[in-house]
Amino acid sequence: MRRPATSRAVSLAAAALATALFLAPFVIESADGEQTQRGDVISWLKGEPRPHDLPRDRLAPIAIHLEGGLRTANGASLPRVTRLEIGLPPLGVLSTRGLPICPARRIRNLRSREALAACRGALVGRGRLSSTVALPNQAPFPVAARLLAFNSRIGKRRAVLLHAATANPPTSSVLPMLLHRGSGRLGTELVGRVSASLGPWPRLRRYSITLFRRYRYRRELRSYLSGSCPVPPTLTAAPFSFARASYTFAEGGQISISIPRFCRAR
Amino acid sequence: MSRTAAIALPILLVGLLAAAFAPAAEAPTRDEYVTTLEKICKPDALATQKAMKGARSDVRHERFKVAARKFARATAIFGSTLKQIKAVPRPSADTKKLAKWFGYLDRQSDYLRQITAALRKGEGVKAQRLTARFIHNGNLANYVVLPFGFNYCSFKFIRYG
Repeated sequence: MRRPATSRAVSLAAAALATALFLAPFVIESADGEQTQRGDVISWLKGEPRPHDLPRDRLAPIAIHLEGGLRTANGASLPRVTRLEIGLPPLGVLSTRGLPICPARRIRNLRSREALAACRGALVGRGRLSSTVALPNQAPFPVAARLLAFNSRIGKRRAVLLHAATANPPTSSVLPMLLHRGSGRLGTELVGRVSASLGPWPRLRRYSITLFRRYRYRRELRSYLSGSCPVPPTLTAAPFSFARASYTFAEGGQISISIPRFCRAR
Repeated sequence: MSRTAAIALPILLVGLLAAAFAPAAEAPTRDEYVTTLEKICKPDALATQKAMKGARSDVRHERFKVAARKFARATAIFGSTLKQIKAVPRPSADTKKLAKWFGYLDRQSDYLRQITAALRKGEGVKAQRLTARFIHNGNLANYVVLPFGFNYCSFKFIRYG
């Protein structure tokens, strides 16, 4: 027997309300982002898997959205980041099988539109990045860049190339992030050494990136990232270590932040 | 003035002055306070991490009794740490902030106790709901003392299994 439309609507509304109530604390959290402080440097990170609702027993395509950055407690200039590590959740699988590869040389010194035209097939994410440029004898000025993430390989290792391009001044740079098996509770880690060729001037302030890609390989629809929420039928959700951002500074020292999130089983 | 009074008066004055300045001298600086607390928190944070190993997996696989034992151990460690750090003299400029922090930590302790009780009764969904509050409350506690730069004394979900 078919359920009346009103009853279905009520059930859906109730389910939505229950989800909202359960996830309410995390929505508040994601508005502020989790923070940690070492010395005067504050690191913050927020993000979420999209969608939150995932199958219990099989993988489903997901996107991972991350926002993070650095600031100083006393308004002093930011330290220069020489190494950046981004840890991704263990509930996900990162698949590059059949995905085109974009070599770094193909997108070097190109604007975003040109880089996209050169490597569209390898695109795995988009985002924004802003930094402060502190040139000698000049007041620091902010620079906003558009980020594109491409699937790549460095030697024999899988990698993600982060292509950052700014309109003013018109410039671009490529940061290769090598894919490592994650340590501890994280599944995969992206590790990048910020090139010394950028000079001592740019200071990372904030970034946001969404990693997501669906593609076809041998007639099969695949996803760059897939995830599940493996909880038993008696449970509806589970907490997991969602992401970690770690920065190493040129002046020495390091700051790391990890954030947990909940997945909801459907 | 007699000779005894002439000797006693300066001694009394010195005593009174010392008493007046004693609390100010005893109150540590923020850096000293952080160092003292981190020394207390470090072994307990590591012990918690060890005690909670696999707890999240236990809950996911419905081994609630096993998880309850781990949470009970973590609750005991947290309670003991809290008792010790509450006794440490606080920097006078930070008393209000720290009182708020300890309020959150008391709540953390309650949540841990409630999660343990829920797991003992096999109430997985209740434990999961309390865990959500535990994480949120832990983050709120961290915000209050952000400028202190705590490591082992700050809440890190990664330590809980």
